[in-house]
Amino acid sequence: MMISYQNISKIYLNDIAALKDINFDIEKNEFVTIAGKSGAGKTTLIKLLLREEEPTSGKIFFEGNNVGLITKSKLPSYRQRIGVVFQDYKLLFTKTVFENVAFAMEATGASDAEIKRDVIKVLEIVGLDERINNFPKELSGGEKQRVAIARALIIRPDVIVADEPTGNLDPYHSEDIIELLCKINALGTNIILATHDRSIINKLKKRVIVLEKGQLIRDDKSGNVIF
Amino acid sequence: MFAAIKRIIKHGFKNFKRQAPLHFATIFILIIALSLLTSIFLFRSTINYLVSEIQKKIDVSVYFKQNTPATEIEKIKEDIGELDDIEEVEYISAQRALEDFKEKHKDEPLILQSVDVLGENPFFPSLNIRAKKPNQYAAVLAYFDGSDFQDIIYEVDYIKKKTIIDRLFSMTSNLSLAGIILSIFLGAVAVLVAFNTIRITIKDSGEEISIMKLVGASSWFVQGPFIVQGILCGLLAALATFFLFYLTVYFSAPKILSITGGFNIFAWFGRNIFNLFLLQFGGGLILSVFSGMIATRKYL
Repeated sequence: MMISYQNISKIYLNDIAALKDINFDIEKNEFVTIAGKSGAGKTTLIKLLLREEEPTSGKIFFEGNNVGLITKSKLPSYRQRIGVVFQDYKLLFTKTVFENVAFAMEATGASDAEIKRDVIKVLEIVGLDERINNFPKELSGGEKQRVAIARALIIRPDVIVADEPTGNLDPYHSEDIIELLCKINALGTNIILATHDRSIINKLKKRVIVLEKGQLIRDDKSGNVIF
Repeated sequence: MFAAIKRIIKHGFKNFKRQAPLHFATIFILIIALSLLTSIFLFRSTINYLVSEIQKKIDVSVYFKQNTPATEIEKIKEDIGELDDIEEVEYISAQRALEDFKEKHKDEPLILQSVDVLGENPFFPSLNIRAKKPNQYAAVLAYFDGSDFQDIIYEVDYIKKKTIIDRLFSMTSNLSLAGIILSIFLGAVAVLVAFNTIRITIKDSGEEISIMKLVGASSWFVQGPFIVQGILCGLLAALATFFLFYLTVYFSAPKILSITGGFNIFAWFGRNIFNLFLLQFGGGLILSVFSGMIATRKYL
């Protein structure tokens, strides 16, 4: 088992329950979609996995290790095992495409030669090898998202978490990004995709976990969903 | 480790170049803050000079009876000179007092004639005594209060000068106190302005810091380039302030010399060049690096 959410609840200060008693497991190499309307608790679920926030109760296990017990000094190496892709890209706007992707590798301590070789290879995979010296502001939404995926991919993570990666994209680019995520999954990386887009879920035909008002209301392995 | 430090320095320089307008604004504020700190240093030195000049003008004269032997006065001069609180003692014989008077009034024949009419030297031999601090004159008075000298002392002018001495003492004390209060106030203003400017500059980078943390960068790898940028801003601001003050002091020295009646600020600048250099570079680095570290910590 790769990831396990056990009795997870998250209640914010003003008594708003973002998540209520969530339980599910994710197996190795699985592609899981977390579906639900805005405010259902999808992003909170991801933030808890990344230890951006702490659960009010319950535990999350990553390859058998309790995420809540990871020390502050070990947090960077834990996060290096999870690639993250956000709806708003979260690129470093003062860095070029190459530098944005390279930064994730630099943080792991890779050598300059490795960085140069791998970054160019990954940018080729996402189709941005001709944009390496451009800054994020010079890219389209789809291109920015591909940079974000390249950055997530470069550290060869065990899991890629994509939070509404197509939220700011047109249908053509959305399909492009989902295809890319499927290819990455086929190469052996777990994918956790959070989305509220039914057309994407229906096309994927992969496991879907549906959240509603912070509660898990359905876990469908066949990928058919109604919400 | 070495590779990480090299990358931090490289990122620091690159960010500094790419966000040049933002950094120039920070350097500008740092120049103002450092100028304020340097001005306090200059202001306090000028005040100290003026206070010491005023104190030099304060003295107490002890007049001896006209028949007092010079050897006895010389002996008293030596004894007083050995006291801790005494800066300088000068013996002025009756003859020298007369000569000084004539020299002072050489263009006033009427006054000179009136002295001649007297037929004898009307002046008394005296000791002009200058204490190290105005409040030490009471001790000088106590020395002459002893009965040993009552037969030979004609007059001690301390009582006459007491009001002036007290006023000057109070004025110089107040001036020094005002200097200290103003220094603390302006120093605090300079530090707060610089700190807040750097804090606001880094606030813009708050989201970038969060992103770097999310992609697995350690805190020091994220914070490092900000520290490098802080060092660059601090160094450039200190360098600019140093040259700014060098030129200002060079061109304003003649005017300050005439206003203060002898304070050569350019010579003072030369004597204190190392301290000023240390103040500006140390101040610039501490202000920018520590403000940067405190501001980035919030996002780590």
